[in-house]
Amino acid sequence: MSTSFEGTIVTEKIGAPARKPSPMSAMLFLYARTFLNRLKSQIVRVRSPRYVAAVIMGVLYIWWALFRNSRFGGGPLATLASTDQLVPVFAALLLLSAARWWIFGADRSTLAFTPAEVQFLFAAPVSRRALIHAKLLRLQIAIFVNTLIWSVLLRGGGGSLEGWRRGLSLWIVFSVLALHRLGASIVRANAIEHENAGRRRSLLPLLVFGALVGAVVFGLLAQFAQLKAAAEDGIRAVGSAILVALHQPVPSYALWPVRVLLEPVFTKSGAVWITIAPIALLILLLHYLWVVRLDASFEEAALEATQHRAERLQRFRTSQMGKSRSRTGKLARVPKLALTGRPEVAIAWKNIVAAIRGGAWRTQLIAFTLGLATLAIVTSSTSARAGDVFMGVTLGWGAMLLFLGPLWMRFDLRLDLQRLAVIKTMPLSGLQVVTAEIAGVTILHTLTVWSLMIVPIVMVIQDPSLLRESGVTIPLWCSIALAVPLFNALMFAIQNGTALLFPAWVRLGTDARGFETMGQNLLTTGATTLVAAVALVFPVGIGIVTVWLSDVLDSPLGVWSVLAGTLLGCAVLALELWPLLIWLGTVFEKTDLSDVAAGG
Amino acid sequence: MIEVDRYTKLYGDTVAVQSLSFVVRPGDVLGLVGPNGAGKTTTLRALAGILQPTSGNIRICGLDLRTDPVAAKSRLAFIPDEPALFDYLTVTEHLHFVARLYGVPDAAPRIPVLLEELELTAKANALPSELSRGMKQKLAIACGLLHQPSALLLDEPLTGLDPVGIRRMKETIAARAREGTAVILSSHLLHLVEELCTRLLVIRRGEAVALGTIAEIVEGRPELAGRSLEEMFIALTGSDAGQTATA
Repeated sequence: MSTSFEGTIVTEKIGAPARKPSPMSAMLFLYARTFLNRLKSQIVRVRSPRYVAAVIMGVLYIWWALFRNSRFGGGPLATLASTDQLVPVFAALLLLSAARWWIFGADRSTLAFTPAEVQFLFAAPVSRRALIHAKLLRLQIAIFVNTLIWSVLLRGGGGSLEGWRRGLSLWIVFSVLALHRLGASIVRANAIEHENAGRRRSLLPLLVFGALVGAVVFGLLAQFAQLKAAAEDGIRAVGSAILVALHQPVPSYALWPVRVLLEPVFTKSGAVWITIAPIALLILLLHYLWVVRLDASFEEAALEATQHRAERLQRFRTSQMGKSRSRTGKLARVPKLALTGRPEVAIAWKNIVAAIRGGAWRTQLIAFTLGLATLAIVTSSTSARAGDVFMGVTLGWGAMLLFLGPLWMRFDLRLDLQRLAVIKTMPLSGLQVVTAEIAGVTILHTLTVWSLMIVPIVMVIQDPSLLRESGVTIPLWCSIALAVPLFNALMFAIQNGTALLFPAWVRLGTDARGFETMGQNLLTTGATTLVAAVALVFPVGIGIVTVWLSDVLDSPLGVWSVLAGTLLGCAVLALELWPLLIWLGTVFEKTDLSDVAAGG
Repeated sequence: MIEVDRYTKLYGDTVAVQSLSFVVRPGDVLGLVGPNGAGKTTTLRALAGILQPTSGNIRICGLDLRTDPVAAKSRLAFIPDEPALFDYLTVTEHLHFVARLYGVPDAAPRIPVLLEELELTAKANALPSELSRGMKQKLAIACGLLHQPSALLLDEPLTGLDPVGIRRMKETIAARAREGTAVILSSHLLHLVEELCTRLLVIRRGEAVALGTIAEIVEGRPELAGRSLEEMFIALTGSDAGQTATA
């Protein structure tokens, strides 16, 4: 006999004993069916010749990247796992990442529920704890794939450690990171929802992380003299000095929780692994309990009805969508759009506005520039060979932005394909739409990469000897500056082309993803780079031939032949891009809503 | 003017719309009605240039949507049932965006008038996430009306609007028709269709089952004489068959 009022009603109405709600099994069913149905619809697409070709290319690429290429698997990446020297460095980087989640906020998609989830799950008799378990469950799919990729990439290194042990260690690391990010998101959500009480609750983790990061910085500052001396001997010596600094007692203690988490991945013997893996597992367990307990404190604080709570969480989600407004309620200022002029400019403008308001582009730009400026000041004051260190770091950042930028900056067709029905009603040709979509992000990303050049230029103005010392010439700087927009356009054209050709397979939207998809991102970047490399064969070849001919013929251009070569190379690249854009425009016009509806 | 000539849309082997032909002249308001899944949205999307017809021709103001899509689209506006807005543009910025996109010469003075007409002035600087469902719908309507389209396609335009909003919306549609806009209105609200539409197109399973004024439809089907629009709809679409069987 049912004891609850609701249960009695049900029993009377349908004449059967009331069944206890089972939200977890319902959610398991939901995610399993969603995964399988999505997989099925994606497999169905393989019937199309375009998708068949992509599957064959993809399988060949993954086989080559994971099993045949010495640069990816079994080569330098595997050697990472055979040395535990780098553990403190990785630990420091992970600590900084975690601190960033607390200080600036974690990835906004961490807590995001789909509108359907909000409608069905939030109004259902499902506790927030169950919802968090559902999020954890979903995260595990990405974590498993990522663990698999990294296990293959790191195979062959690490002495006698079996693959399954390393795989398990990697799974623990990625799971802890995902849990930590989720926990940080919940605490911050709490702070927003409960204002003062919430802020008080998030104060403790902020203090803890502030202290830990402070301890690492203290360790580095304590070894400042040694670092300064090492800077005289180049980057390798600086790296060794940083390692020594991180091994000092204060930073070492601060990094201990992260270090013990990483050590099972890097350890060489199974015997050692068996002693340290349980500690990592314990950290995972503690993180799990912490995240689940956060839910309890939520429940205590929120006494409102389920529906009301759902609405509030939905509002939180909305407020997190890009943090478009400042605390005072002001919108980020954006360039004004003239009411008349070429219509496609409106699309590029719209995407730039989205990046500024939704992607915190300006914050990232300022952070990058300030970071480099700080680095410039530090290296200038610590080394007589600052030019080497600084130019290396700048070029490294630049290269990373060039290759990884298109993965971060997704305010283009990868965002707008979700609104294909709207874009299709616009009085624009496919070529205009595709060109405008690529142009907006290309402009923004070019500004980002160019901004990195401001700091070295200021340095050089102050001390011209840096330029001579680094071996970088003014013509080379001009060439890089000139090539950046064309190169960015190529990279974004590849990304947008992939989304347009395979909308059912490409992740649409702008949500960034965390460590749990690092392996997948590595493979995607590798594939994009390969396509870009093929596209660059002619432009780079023409550039090299120009410089060579100039040298052989003893032309009056001298060192400026580099710029001439770059100009010619850019012209060839533009000639390559134009037919590509025309073709993608035709593809856009032929893309049906149903092609995209199954994707994303 | 909207001209549809033997428009057919197939999804694989499934027929969504079968050889549909009709004309909507300037000032006409055509009510597009039919049961769920009849092909109303597919037809409207094809007229808006979102879906490519499998066969047949669609002309907007004499411009073929297939061969001259850009010029044809610049003369029409499609307002879907679910407003799809850009998350990061304010209300005013949406209108600026549309003005630039459609090359509206007198956008600057028209924007405040349109905001006032649709009671959006107070929300001019709000983002879509800060608007209610009805406000979002009004913004989508404002975006659709800014360039003074010659052909207006409305899919369930009253969804989410309050009673005052509904009245205003009805006035807006009627005013646009009086100004010479060819309007197609798809709705399940038969009283709205009866009040606003000059002609009806009833479709069932992708095929037209009736087209014309109510008088013309009755003339072709005398047994419908004296019946309400709801009864006519049920008789034409056979929607009561299942209910009768169940009963």
